[in-house]
Parts: sequence; structure tokens; C-alpha cells
Amino acid sequence: MKKTRLGEFEEVILLLVGILGNEAYAFKIADEFESQTDRPVSIGAVHSTLNRLSEKGFLTSEMGSASAERGGRRKRIYSLTASGQRVLSDARDFRVSLWSQFPGFAGG
Amino acid sequence: MNNNKYIPPRLAERLLLWFLRNDLAEEVSGDLEERFYKTAAKKSLSKAKLNYWYQVFHYLRPFAIKKYRSNSNPFIMYQHNFKLTYRNFIKYKTSFFINLIGLTTGLSSALLIFLWVSDELAMDKLHEKDEQLYQVFLTHEENSSLRTGPETQGLLAEALLAEVPEVVMAAADTETEWFGDNFAVSNGEEVIKAKGKFSGEDYFNLFSYKFKHGIPDRALSDKSSIVITESLALKLFNTTQVVGKTVEWHLLHLQGEASISAVLEDLPSNSSEQFNFVLPFSIYKDIIGDGMHWGNFNAYTYVELAKDININALNHKIASFVKDRDEGSNVSPFFKQFSSNYLYGTFNNGIQTGGRITYVRLFSVIAIFILVIACINFMNLSTARASRRLKEIGIKKTLGAGRVSLIFQHMGEAVLITFFALFLASLLTFMILPEFNELTGKQLSLQFTPEIIGAAILIGLFTGLLAGSYPALYLSGFKPVSILKGKLNASFGEVWIRKGLVVFQFALSVIMIVGVLVVFQQIRFIQTKSLGYSKDNILKIPVEGKAVDNMATFFDELKNLPGVLNATATTHSMVESGAYTTGIHWEGKDPDVPIRFEQARVYYDFVETLGIKVLEGRSFSKKFGNEQSKIIFNESAIEAMDMQDPVGKKIIMWGKEKEIIGVVKDFHYASLHTPVEPMLFYFEQQPPHSALVKIDGENIQEAIANIQSFYKTFNPGYMLDYKFLDQNYQAQYIAEQRVSVLSQYFAGIAIVISCLGLFGLAAFTAERRQKEIGIRKILGAGNFSIVTLLSGDFTKMVLVAVCLALPVSYFLAQYWLSGFAYKIDLHWWLFGLAGVAALVIAWLTVGFQTLKTANINPVQCLKDE
Repeated sequence: MKKTRLGEFEEVILLLVGILGNEAYAFKIADEFESQTDRPVSIGAVHSTLNRLSEKGFLTSEMGSASAERGGRRKRIYSLTASGQRVLSDARDFRVSLWSQFPGFAGG
Repeated sequence: MNNNKYIPPRLAERLLLWFLRNDLAEEVSGDLEERFYKTAAKKSLSKAKLNYWYQVFHYLRPFAIKKYRSNSNPFIMYQHNFKLTYRNFIKYKTSFFINLIGLTTGLSSALLIFLWVSDELAMDKLHEKDEQLYQVFLTHEENSSLRTGPETQGLLAEALLAEVPEVVMAAADTETEWFGDNFAVSNGEEVIKAKGKFSGEDYFNLFSYKFKHGIPDRALSDKSSIVITESLALKLFNTTQVVGKTVEWHLLHLQGEASISAVLEDLPSNSSEQFNFVLPFSIYKDIIGDGMHWGNFNAYTYVELAKDININALNHKIASFVKDRDEGSNVSPFFKQFSSNYLYGTFNNGIQTGGRITYVRLFSVIAIFILVIACINFMNLSTARASRRLKEIGIKKTLGAGRVSLIFQHMGEAVLITFFALFLASLLTFMILPEFNELTGKQLSLQFTPEIIGAAILIGLFTGLLAGSYPALYLSGFKPVSILKGKLNASFGEVWIRKGLVVFQFALSVIMIVGVLVVFQQIRFIQTKSLGYSKDNILKIPVEGKAVDNMATFFDELKNLPGVLNATATTHSMVESGAYTTGIHWEGKDPDVPIRFEQARVYYDFVETLGIKVLEGRSFSKKFGNEQSKIIFNESAIEAMDMQDPVGKKIIMWGKEKEIIGVVKDFHYASLHTPVEPMLFYFEQQPPHSALVKIDGENIQEAIANIQSFYKTFNPGYMLDYKFLDQNYQAQYIAEQRVSVLSQYFAGIAIVISCLGLFGLAAFTAERRQKEIGIRKILGAGNFSIVTLLSGDFTKMVLVAVCLALPVSYFLAQYWLSGFAYKIDLHWWLFGLAGVAALVIAWLTVGFQTLKTANINPVQCLKDE
């Protein structure tokens, strides 16, 4: 069993996979990450994370359709598994519970 | 072509497919291509290409890279060789560590020396015009020999520029040392001591120092300008934005105002010139006044020569340049490349004879010696261990291994351990570099520039191949049949070579021991040699400010301070040769033989304060009032003038008649590199600006405190800046002292590495001869006879090494000492000591091993088999 704790980057990638749905393949995810966060990231780094998340069982993937803009090559589309969904909502619940205990936020 | 324009860089794509896992190829190259087109559309093609490369390199991640599995023969053999190398290291830890320690220390010594040498070689090469930048030297014919020096006439630069067409640019210059600590600048409030000099208008066009503000062309064109360095600017004004501000400069009783025309970046450490500010040469000209003529050598001259000139022909052409202008002159100028002065700065009788390059060569040789010694360890230990690996080699050969592949295996083993050692050596070098810098007075740093990495890899490969060469060639040459039959005994050749290597190693160590002893002795000789005057407890203080106008009172009051024994003043530094003159005439002088006199203007009590011995007559004394028409000579001068009963005779100095009132015994006014030459002492009513104060050795602190408080009240606004004369004396031998300390360290390292090798070899022999010793013990041999037996071999080797090394070291020592006019005698015991030391060290090294073997219980080593 791999470690099931999520890093910040992993969490964001997981969310992006969920957001992008049928379009969730490495280049799109990296692209979306850059436009949403303004942080540069290499496709390799994203791919490596996707690979790790798949090994942990949070993602599955299958080869999708080809398109002309990528030289007729197919892409690998990632989608969330049930345990991926759960680990995301766990992470959110944990944060929400922390935020609710934070006096500055709760009071204001 | 147009179609090709919008495709990703092919090379990057090929690289990607080469390392990428096959099952990822389709998706990844698709992703990257999509990214490429998007970037190309949004930004530019070149950005897109660059980004593609970036993305490719970011796929160099463990998950994406092909797992390399191959069944090819070479690959399996590499794996196999690695495995064997590793197992051998693990199995024979002692010899592995001996090799590793030896190679690591050897390599880091070599690295340190490499850093030092390359720094020395780069000195003064920073100027853009380096190739064409020359300095003028003058060769003087005098006392029937030739003397060469950089001091030229202040007029020379302009004259050369005007009349020699090959001279493109020229600037006169002065040396910062000439003004000692007497230069200061002030911002109107505070007076700050700084190193300054005067330079001609084009100085900064010749030398490319970096400008922070201002430009070289206009830096010194105005007579009221001054160029200062960044750090001086910060000290004076707390900012470097100071162009146009006014500062005052002080030089003894002289002073002036100048406006800052430019600010220099601080001078880099690879420049031998170090100064804080530069004033225009025209000011110096005014100060010297009538002294600017062809017989006065008071400036340096730098020139830029045209490209592609024949320097020898040009030097030939200008040899008579000064003589054509000044009849009776005895000097001939020549051009010498400026950047070569640092390393090749010593002249003997008109011929360039060396300089710092001697030390550069010396240490390069030492570095090679140390590496060779470390390599010999490796060779010895691996050939000695060969017997253990013979079966492996025999079987490999039987199975068809070629000789080349065996050589390759053993070379590879050596290179591998060398690079491991190189890695450790870099770490070690990194750690000891601060101490090394302290020792050498340099600011070296281990930066991984391509040159350094290249050099390190070269040193590593050289060492590895050298260390591996003998075992590789030797081990691979055996006949498999004789190996497997067990017939192979240590052949004559093997033993001979192994012994030869040990002899060679120890010979090098003995040479180093002798070297260290000689250098050490000579340094101590210099430091303790009686100089003919007493340099202890003498303070050197500048006379400046208000004291300049009231010198007589200043000296009177100074002498009366408690703790002050005597005081005088002189123009001479007392530690190095200063001004000299040939303008002395006397009855019976041969007009064709110019004799050079070292000259010193002195004040009352000079002879008494310094404890110089008066041979005849008297010294300058206040009792006799004005002594301007009197003169004192040293012994050598009287001898050179060939004068009988000199006291009372008259001579002509600079056109004025003077009476000889005394003769003093020769004393060493300069470093012991040069012999004592004729010297004269003359007197003028106004004392020189540098006072020498003899204080009570019992209460040094108190005396200094008294002088300080006196100075403060007498001379408000000035801080007393004192130096001990013997400190100045030590400073002139700093190069020798550094060599002494460094050679001690490196000799120590060489000896330790040699001993490591010997230790390994002794351990090995002891192990091999265990059975023999067991039998000897059973037959009644005592411990002592076994120790003698085992160490006898080594003793012989070391003795041979000593015999070989002593003559060589004698010649080397002679050569080094020939640079000193006053030197130690090379006594036989010095060499004896080195020999005995080598022998004792060798005995101690093998002693432990032999004792252990001699004490062995014969049952232990005979019970099996």
C-alpha cells in the first residue's frame, strides 16, 4: 500500500483532473495549472505526479483519441477513481475543520 | 522549407525518444508537440523551440526513463568488472584504504598547488593590452658589472613617445612603495592614510582597471584631478557617487587640493599593482623640480608598443637612447612585457635570471612528485596483491579473455578508485583552502569552472592511468597454464621493479627532507644573522604635520621622553636598497670606472641609535653644529675608493666639497640576497621625514604610550603610525618564509604517503611469509632475529634510496642557496640527518608489522593445510 497523504501539488493536480473531465491529459493539465496558478510547471513534472497518483490508486487512465494538432498521436486521459474522490474530500474537510478553529477567520 | 519551419527541434525529439520508455512515447511526444504549437502561436518560434528542449529535459525523471537491460557482451563485462572491483575493495580493506588515503592526499596537494600555480600565472594578465603593454627597464654599467632595475628617468616616457615610432602610448608612473605610509587624503575633516602614486595622463588607457564612474581618457588630464578607488570613496564619503567632490592630499609637508575625476572599482587580487588613489604625474614633476634630468631615476615608464613588432630588434635600437641624450650616462633602456615582471623579475648582471617563476616551478615539481609517490603505492600494492588474483586472471584467459580486456579491467579499476579519491580530494581541498590562503597570502577559491574541472579530470586520468599501468600490463601478461598449475613464483623482474619503486619513492622523500632542512636553516640564519646594527626595539615613525616645521624641537623633546633611549632620522628604509649615486669624485679616481654608492641622508645620532660600529673618526653629532660639509662612508666604500687614512680627506659630492669625518663598519642595509656595497651618509640641517626611535626593551608598551601621547600634543590631528624596524625586516623575507612553511607541509605529506605504501608492503610481505616464519620459530629462531630478517630488506632499500638522493639534494640545495649573497654552509650532518630520519621513519613504519609477525604463535600459522 502506497502512502495516502496528499501533497499540495498532488492535491491541485487531482482537482484539475476532476475539473477537466474528458480533457484531462498531461499537457492540458499543465496548461491549466499554469493559467490558474500563474506558476510555471513542466509537463514532465505533471506527468510524473500523475504517474505517482495512479500508482497510489487515485487515478486511472486510458488512451483517448488522436488529433491533428499533436501530429496524429493519441493522448492518455486521466480520471478520478473512487478513492481519489474520497482523498480529495477528506483533504477539503480537514482544511475546513482547521479553518473553523482559526479565530481570526471564524470571528471575522 | 516552410513546412519544416513549424516542427519541434528534431534533435530534442530524438533525445526524448532515446531515453523515454517506449510505452510512453506516443502520449508524451504528442503532449510536447501540442505545447510546442501553442507556444509557437502565442509567442515565437524560437521560444517554442527553447521550451521544447526545456520540456524534454524535464522528462528526465526516474518514472519516464527506459530501464536499461542489455544482453550485449561489453555491457555484461562492465557490470562484472565493477562487481569484481567492488568485491576486491571490500575484501582487502587495508590496501584499499592505503590507496585511497594516499591518492586523496596526493590529489588534494596537487589540486592546491594547481590553484596556486594558475593564480600565479594569471597575475597581471588582466589588462586588455597585455600583449603590447611593456615596461622600460634600465641596465646600469657600474662597478664593472651590470645592474638592471625598473627605475627610469621621469623624462623618458615623453621622449620615447615623441621619438620612437613603435611606441604608441607612454606614461610615467611612480611606485606606491616609494612614499611608504606618508601619503594621506582627507575629506576636510578626517585624514586617512592611503596608498597613492603619481601617474601620467595615459596611465588608465594603458592599464585597463575597471571604472565605476568616470572615463579613462579624462581621469588624469587635469592637473587638479585625482582618481580614487571605490573603497577609499566609501571611507571618505560613505558613497561612491563622488565625482566632482574635492579632497585634500598630504604627502609629508606637501599638500594640495584635487577634485575627484573618476572612481575605480577596487583593484582585483590578480593585479600586482595595489593602490588607493592616483594623482597626475605633472604634480610629481613640480615636486621634483630640477631633479627631472637624465641622471636621476625617479619614475617608472610604461609603454604600449605597436602590434607585431620585433621586440629584440627594437630593444637593440633603443639601447643607446639615453646615452644619445646624456653624454657620460651609463644606462641602456630596454622594453620588457609588463605582465612578465611578476614571475620573471630578477636580473643578475644584466641577464634575466628568474624570480617567482622559480617557486612556481618548484611547487609544480613537488606536486608531480607527490602524485608519483601516491601512484607508486598503488602500483606496488596491486602487483603485490597480484598473486591473490592470479586464479581469476588464469581462468579468464582460459575462457578466452584477451589481453586488452584484462588491461582494460585493471586500468578501469585504477581510474575508478582515482576518481573516487578525486571526489574526496575536492572535498578536502575545499575544507583546507582557507588555511592554505592564509599561508600563501592569496585569495584562492575552488570554483568549478570548466578549466578547473578539466584540470581535475586530467589530473585524475593521468594519475589513474599511471597508477594502473604497471599492474595492468604486468598482470595481464601471465601464461594461463603456469598460473593454474601454481607454478608461478615471484619472478626476478617483479621483485626488482617493486623494490625499485620503493627506492624511488624514498629517494624523493629524502630529497624533500633535505630541502626542508636547508630552507629552514637558511631562514633561521637570515633571522638571526648579526646585521652589523641592532634592529631590535626600534620604532619607525613618520614626521608629518606640525612636526615638519619644528623638527629640531621635535627630536629634542622626543629624546627626553621616559623610555626613549635615542632618536634619529634617515631617508633610508634600512631594509632594502634605496637611492644611490655615482656622483662622487675624489683624488685619484679613475674617471672611466663609475662606482655606485648607496646613499642615506641622516640626522644626528644615526650611528648611535642603530648601534653601528665606528671604525675610525666620529659620527654626526650635535656638538659640532652644522655638519653639512661632512660625510661618513662605510668600510666597503673606502675599500672601493682605495683610500688610505680617509678621515680628514676631502671628496666632491654633487659638486660640493665634503670632508670625511668617519668610517663605519659594514652593515646590512638591504636583504641578504644582495652583498653590502659602498655606502655614504650625509647630513643636512633639515632632518629626513622618517624618524627611528630606540626604546627601552624592558618597557616597550610604556615607551610607546609615552610617544603616542607626546605625538598627539605636539602634532594635533595626526595619529601616530609606528612600525617596528624588525617587522619591516621580516616582511622582506615573506616569500622565503612561505616557501619554508609550504615545503614543510608538502614534504610531510610526501613522507606520509611513502610510509603508507611501505606499511602496506610490509603487511603484505609479513602475511606471505607467515609459514616461513612459523617454521623458523619452531626451529628455534628468536623474535629479534625474525625482526632483523623482515626489516633487513626494507633497510637495504631505504639505504639505497638515501645514497641516490643525497647527491641530487646537494645540487638542488646549492642551486637554491645561490640566490642569497649570505648563506649557510651545507654541512655533512644536514644530509646525514635526512638519511637517518628516512631510515628511522621506515623502521617505525615496518616495525609494528614485523613485531606482530615475529610474535606470532607458530601453531596458528602452520595448523591448516
